Amino acid sequence: MGEIRNFKSGDQDGPPPHGLMPRRLAAIIVGDIASYSRMMQADEEGTHVRVKRIERDLIQPSIVEHHGALVKTTGDGFIAIFDSPVEAVRCSIVIQQNLIGRNASLPKHSRLEYRIGVNLGDVIVEPDDVYGDGVNIATRIEGIAEPGQVYISGAIYEQIKHKVVCGYESLGDRKVKNITDPVRVYRVLPDADAVGKTRSRRENALIFLLAITVMMMAAGVLWYLLAQPGRMGEQAAVPAASPAASPAASPSPRPLPSEAATQTPQPSPSLASSPSPPAPSPSAAPPPEPEMIAIRGGSFAMGSNDDPTERPVHQVTIKPFSIGKYPVTVREWNECAAAKGCAFTAIGKDNAPVSNVSWADAQQYVVWLAQAAKKPYRLPTEAEWEYAARGGTQSKYWWGDKLQPGMAGCKDCGDLAAEQPAKVGSFKPNQFGLYDMGGGIDQWVEDCWHRTYQGAPSDGSAWTGSDCSSHVLRSGSWKNDSRYVRPSNRDGYDTNVRYPTHGFRVALSL
Amino acid sequence: MRIISCVALAAAIALHSGAANSQGKSAPKDAKLYFITPHDGQKVRGGFWVRFGLRNMGVTHAGDEYQNAGHHHLLVDVNEPIDSKEPIPQDKSHLHFGAGQTETLLELPPGTHTLQLVLGDAKHYPFEPPVVSDKITVRVRPPASARK
Repeated sequence: MGEIRNFKSGDQDGPPPHGLMPRRLAAIIVGDIASYSRMMQADEEGTHVRVKRIERDLIQPSIVEHHGALVKTTGDGFIAIFDSPVEAVRCSIVIQQNLIGRNASLPKHSRLEYRIGVNLGDVIVEPDDVYGDGVNIATRIEGIAEPGQVYISGAIYEQIKHKVVCGYESLGDRKVKNITDPVRVYRVLPDADAVGKTRSRRENALIFLLAITVMMMAAGVLWYLLAQPGRMGEQAAVPAASPAASPAASPSPRPLPSEAATQTPQPSPSLASSPSPPAPSPSAAPPPEPEMIAIRGGSFAMGSNDDPTERPVHQVTIKPFSIGKYPVTVREWNECAAAKGCAFTAIGKDNAPVSNVSWADAQQYVVWLAQAAKKPYRLPTEAEWEYAARGGTQSKYWWGDKLQPGMAGCKDCGDLAAEQPAKVGSFKPNQFGLYDMGGGIDQWVEDCWHRTYQGAPSDGSAWTGSDCSSHVLRSGSWKNDSRYVRPSNRDGYDTNVRYPTHGFRVALSL
Repeated sequence: MRIISCVALAAAIALHSGAANSQGKSAPKDAKLYFITPHDGQKVRGGFWVRFGLRNMGVTHAGDEYQNAGHHHLLVDVNEPIDSKEPIPQDKSHLHFGAGQTETLLELPPGTHTLQLVLGDAKHYPFEPPVVSDKITVRVRPPASARK
């Protein structure tokens, strides 16, 4: 089925035909400052500065932490969308509870309080705005929310009622402006036992608010540590290491001929030996880095006519770089997990390629590795990957135009049974000395998914874009057939979604 | 204290659900997966929108272990039976919608094609019993510009 072109909803590569906009299901948060006009009247500049500071210090980071996207900020409010209703509500609670803390020391008339409404709906997403009934309903719900409160729609409630362990007070079906059907609305009470008690507590003074502030800070830290051990940011405990103490793991100096075009494959006698990354070092030392191979720059014809996604074939110039000799292994990944730089601990043999990683997970790894090793590690660009995979050839496979056993791990690639790779480097290396460039494990690259090469860069850089809901996968996996093993084969997949055949390898600019 | 325990509980549940094995997750008996558009036998030209309908279950992000919720997969010209012991394959005929998408713009070469929806759980396994749509046929006409 090489002819299928899939337009992922939400993808922005070119205007969709027929004037139809990409739609998607999203949890929408609408927030708005209560009595903004009054405060602007009292102190225009001061209020503006405070609002901007809250947006920068609290609202934007909270949205990012909960895997959402800030669609826009208005003068006195904001709109954000989330894939997950749970994350949307958690984010709203975090924002409100942080504001309680910020407001605690202020006199009542100068407190900045947000109303927040959350709804789940099918929306039209554009780069800087979002449209649809779902957004309008979220706005109406926000409008009836009390300052400092989070109100959610029935659709959100159904999704989160057993997940976010908090109280919900049903406010019944509300008729909202310009929406035909009444909307069921719930008030979120972060404290499950608080149902019905909140009003009587309202008069309790500063001490109570301060107590909540302290508790929420503690709870926030606890939550951060427990629920999201993999978030990068400031907690990626970088081992304090002397940069000069890592000669063992520097990139392999072996220069490789890259321009020699139709070189025959050189079966390496050492192909059966297991890869030997440096032994784990004490915690104070820099982490063992993946074994790297330096690739000389050059120019090549990228793409093929075998599949519409690989057209048009175009000339690309590659700068010198180095790339992982093998895909990143379970052992290498778990160094990152142990240092809290990566989101989960991988299971499997040490030398197996790490799998079930999303593009976002792979980014966490390279960011952690770059910090820990103090080298600019990154994912390879799509052009770099194909250049490296071709090993200087323009044939269908790097070893020629016909399938041969022992060259790659795939469903119909030859004698070796197609099983999940037990270790990296089980097949022959290509002309550049790289293993598993085709078959074995799918590999993420830096680029956004575009369904053809129409408009692709020619300088070997990553082709990114404003909206990047899916990224490019290369190599094919043990589950795919031999068409996927071709060095020019490409596919796209949702950026934040894990799948069992997806892994990656790292690259380094020289 | 209540707030802390609330948050800690939420965190514990989040951690726990991540570790749970999702294979063979059960689906409600009345769950129904269907195509809103196109309909069986429809003739289309060029790119066309495929919209996914689901009743009595929810659509969620892949990786989210919610009860009675999953994400869509669109199978194009797939003849192999669905293997409930394996994750739904990922290739150019098994399109994944793990971000919770409920529609897609498809462009297929001219000719007759089959389409079928399969709902996957957090780890892309089919449910038990599988939640699948009827397999429909679409006839893609050559683009108008190609006929002159």
